[in-house]
Amino acid sequence: MIALALTIILSTDTIATSSHTIDEVVVVSAAGEGRKRSAKGLVASIDEHLAELSHVNLVRRGSYAWEPMVNNMQTERVATTIDGMKIFYACTDKMDPVTSYVESSNLQSILLNSGLNGNPQSTGNIGGSLDLKLRKAGFNADPFHLNTDIGYETNGHLQVYGADASFSTQRFYTNGGVFYRHADNYKEGGGRKVEFSQFEKVNAFANAGVKLTNRNIVEGTFIFDRANNVGYPALNMDVKKAEAFITSLSYKHLFTQGVLNSWETKAYYNHITHVMDDTKRPDVEIHMDMPGKSWTSGLYSLLSASNGRHDVQANYDLFYNRLFADMTMYPGGAAPMYMVTWPDVGTLNTGLALTDLISLTNRQWLKVSAKVAWQTQRLNDDEGYHALEVFFPGMKQRYQQLTGRVAMNLQHATPTTELNIGAGWGSRAPTVTEAYGYYLNNTFDQYDYIGNPRLKNESAIELNAAAKFSMFNSHLSIAIDANAFFFYNYIIGQFENRLSPMTVDAEGVKVYGNLDHANIVNTSFITEWKALSWLTWSARLSYAIGRDEQGDPLPLISPFAYSSVLAFTYKRLQGRAELRGNSRQVKAGRKYGETPTPAWVIGNISTQYAFSINGRRLTLRAGVENVFDKRYATYSDWCDIPQKGRNIYMNINIEL
Amino acid sequence: MKQKVLMLFLAIASVGLTSCNSNDDETGIVIDGIDLSKDVDCCSAEEALQVYKFIQTVKIIPELSTSADGLYDVYAYSKTGTLHKGYNDLYFVVTKKKTGNYVKYFDITNITPLMNMVKMNMWHSTPVGSSFEVFDTNRPAVKRGWVSLLMNTSDAGSWQFSYDIEVLGSKGGIQNKAINVDALPEGQDWVKSFKVGDDTYYLSVVNPSDWKTGTNTIQAYVSKKNNPATTPYELAPETFTIEIDPRMPDMGNHTSPDNTPLTKQKDGSYTGTINLTMTGLWRIHLTVKDANGKVVAGGDDLKDGYSSLFWDVTL
Repeated sequence: MIALALTIILSTDTIATSSHTIDEVVVVSAAGEGRKRSAKGLVASIDEHLAELSHVNLVRRGSYAWEPMVNNMQTERVATTIDGMKIFYACTDKMDPVTSYVESSNLQSILLNSGLNGNPQSTGNIGGSLDLKLRKAGFNADPFHLNTDIGYETNGHLQVYGADASFSTQRFYTNGGVFYRHADNYKEGGGRKVEFSQFEKVNAFANAGVKLTNRNIVEGTFIFDRANNVGYPALNMDVKKAEAFITSLSYKHLFTQGVLNSWETKAYYNHITHVMDDTKRPDVEIHMDMPGKSWTSGLYSLLSASNGRHDVQANYDLFYNRLFADMTMYPGGAAPMYMVTWPDVGTLNTGLALTDLISLTNRQWLKVSAKVAWQTQRLNDDEGYHALEVFFPGMKQRYQQLTGRVAMNLQHATPTTELNIGAGWGSRAPTVTEAYGYYLNNTFDQYDYIGNPRLKNESAIELNAAAKFSMFNSHLSIAIDANAFFFYNYIIGQFENRLSPMTVDAEGVKVYGNLDHANIVNTSFITEWKALSWLTWSARLSYAIGRDEQGDPLPLISPFAYSSVLAFTYKRLQGRAELRGNSRQVKAGRKYGETPTPAWVIGNISTQYAFSINGRRLTLRAGVENVFDKRYATYSDWCDIPQKGRNIYMNINIEL
Repeated sequence: MKQKVLMLFLAIASVGLTSCNSNDDETGIVIDGIDLSKDVDCCSAEEALQVYKFIQTVKIIPELSTSADGLYDVYAYSKTGTLHKGYNDLYFVVTKKKTGNYVKYFDITNITPLMNMVKMNMWHSTPVGSSFEVFDTNRPAVKRGWVSLLMNTSDAGSWQFSYDIEVLGSKGGIQNKAINVDALPEGQDWVKSFKVGDDTYYLSVVNPSDWKTGTNTIQAYVSKKNNPATTPYELAPETFTIEIDPRMPDMGNHTSPDNTPLTKQKDGSYTGTINLTMTGLWRIHLTVKDANGKVVAGGDDLKDGYSSLFWDVTL
C-alpha cells in the first residue's frame, strides 16, 4: 500500500508555483487558457462546475444539489467554505450540500485543496477542502458591465435565465445579479421519465466594496438563494423549500512596507431553512414533516506576509453553528409522533492556522500548513437530549473536541518535469449527524442511523505523490497522481441488531462507531497530446480502493473510470468530443449495503463559438450529452437512479 | 413557569417574605383568606405557604368536597378537577371554617367508589389505594390516595363515591354521591385485568401522561377483586413481576431498548423503567409472572406476535 502511495503522480493544469494538490475550476469566463471550466459556461450548475475538478465525484440523489466527494470521501471529511465562511447544511438526509446554496453567477471559481493541506479557514478536511470564491467586480475594473445568460436543455426542459451588472471606480465597486433555473422531470436513456426529478431555483446576490483610503478596504457580500419544489427520485421525500441567506462584511488593510502584505478580517452570518415534503408522493404510508435549520455566524482574520523566500499566512477563525431538525409523523387518525432528529446542537469552534510557502530554490518549493482547532458542543434541546440518552445512558449534554492537522508538500519543477511528494496528519471531530443524529433513515442501505456521542475523533495520515512529464516540445505530457489515506478510528455506521428501526420497511438500525483503521487510496493517470495546432487529445484513467479494518470494501469508492477527449479549435469555434465510462464496480461495499453498479460508457459533444457585434461579446454554446441515449447509473447515483438520457443543450452569453 | 409567577405574586402580596425565612418571623407571610395566627392544629406559615402553592397545581373536585360538623371544609382535588377511567391521584385538604387555615390532622377512610351496571343490574367497586397518607413532609396538611376506575360513565353504567372523614374528633364524609367518570381519549388505556384461577387482578399504570420522550420510571399497582365485588379492591398480596415490551403499532411495531420489568416495592407498588424514543401511541405489551417466574398472564403470542395484555399510552 505504501509503495503504491509513493508511486508518483501527476498534476493537472495548475500553475507552477502551486502544488499538485490544488485544483481550480473557473466559473466566470475570462482570460486564462488551460484553466478548467465547464463546457456549458456560466449556465452550468454548480454541480457541473464541481464535476470538472480532479479528485471530485458527485453523489446524485436527483437532478439538483449533488454532494461533492473529494478523494472518495463525502461531506463528513470535506470542508466547504464560501470565501472562507463556514456554512453547514440543514437537511438530515443530506439533500442540501452547502454547494447547493450558491449559483454559478455568484462565483469566480471553485478552489479545491486535495487532502490535508487545506485552505486556512477549513477545519476537519481530511479528504480535502473546497472554497467557493465569490465573484466581486473589484476596483478599477470595467466602469460598467452587463452580462446576460439564457440557456435551454431539451431533456427536462431546463431553462436558465441570468443577468448581472457591475459598476466599478477607483474607490468603489458593486456588482449584483439574479439567476433563475427551472426544470421538469428528466428522461433517462431510452426515454422513460424519471418522476420527481424536477426543481426550481432563484438566486440573487450583491457585493460592494469601498476603499476608505488607499490601504483600507471594506467589502460586503450578500446572497439569497431559494430552491422550491425540488424532487429527489432517490429518496422518499422531496423538498418544498431550501432557502439560504448568506452575508458577510470584511475589512482589509494593505501594507506597503515591511514583510506584511495584507490583513483581512471578515465577520459573517448565514442561515438555512430546509423543509421536506412528501405530499406529492403516491402511496405514502405515513405523512411526515421534516424541517431542518442551520445558523452560523463567525469571523476569521487572515494575515499575509512574505519576504521573498517565505510566503506566510496566519489565520484565526471562530464560529458558532446551531443545527436543529425534527420530524413529525402523522399516522392516519392516530396521534402524531414527534422526535427531535438534530437536538439543536450548538457548536462553538475556534482555530488557528499557519501556512508557509517556502521557495527553497527557484525550482523547488515547500508548502507547510498546520491548524489546531478546539470546539465545544452543547445539546440545547432537552427532548432530543433525553431521547438520545435512552441509547447512551449517562451521556453528557456538552462535549469538547480538539482537532488538528499538519501537512507538507515538496515540489520540484522544471519546464519538462514536475515532481511532488507530500505527507500529512489530521483529525476531525464527528459531525452532528454522526454524534447526535437520531433515527435518520438512509435510503442507500435502508437503515436508520443513530449518532454516537461517545465517538472518538477520526484521524488520518496522508501520503501523496505526483509527477508530470512533458515531452516533444510539450506536445505530449503524461501525469500520474496518487494519494493514500490511512485512517484511525474511521467513523462509519455499524450494525446494532439489538435496536428496532423506526422507519417502516427499514432493514434495521446502525449506530455510528469507530473502526480501528481503514484505508483509501486514489490513483490517476492523465495524458495529453497536442497532435496538431488545432487538435488535442487527452485521456484520463483513475482507480481507487477503500478498505475497512477487515479488508472489506468501503462503500462509495469509485470503480475504474476513464475518459477520452478530442478537442479542437478553429478560429473562434471550439469543440470537444468525449467518451466517458466506468468499469463494473466489482468492489462494492456490500457489507455496508452497497450493490455493484454495472459498467457504462457514454459520449458527449460540446461546441462553443464566441464573437463580437458592436463591441458586445457573445458566446454561443451548444452540445449533446449522452449522445447515444444510454440508460446508465454511476456508482455514486443514490439508489442507482438513472442519469439523464440524451440531452441537447444550448445557451448564449451576452456581455456589454 | 406557573410556579414562578405565583412566587412573584406571593412576594408582592407578602410583607417581608425574605425576613421570615431568616428569623422565623412568621407574621411576615400573608396568604389571602387565611388567618395564620398560631394554632397547634393548623399549619405554620411556611407549611401553609407550601400547601397553598401545591393546591394551585391541582383542581377541586366539587362532587367529592364536603364539610365536617360545620367546623371544617373538606376539599378533594385531582389534577383536572374531574375523574377519568384508569388511575387517578386524589388529594384532600381540610381547612378550619373560622380561620381558613389548613388542618394538619385528619383521616380519610372507607373510600368506596361503586359502579352501577345498569343493564346487568349489578354493582361493583374498583381498585383503590389502601389508605390516604401525608403527601409529603413539607405539606403535612395534604393527604394523598388513589383510585383506579375500571370504566367510564356511559349508558352502561354510572359511578357514585362514598368516604368517611374524621377531623379533630368531628366526623363527616359523603355517601353515594354521583360523580361522572370521563373516558380517556383514544390511544389511552391505563387499566387492564387478568385472571389466575378464580381470582381477578387489575393492572393500573400510574400517571403515564407525565411521561416524556426519553427514560421514564414506570409505576403500576396490582389489585385483587374482592368478594363481594362491592368492596373496594385492595392491593394484591401476591408478588408478581411485570415484563414490558413497548411498541409503536403505527410505526411497524418499533420498540425501544433497555426497558426493565416492574418489580414490587416496599410500598406495594411496582416500578420499572420504560424508554420512549418519540411521542405518539405506545402499546406496552405485558407479561405477568408469579413469584416462581411462571407466566400467569399475557406473554401470549397473538397474530402480530405480541402479548394480548397491554396498556396503551399516547404521549
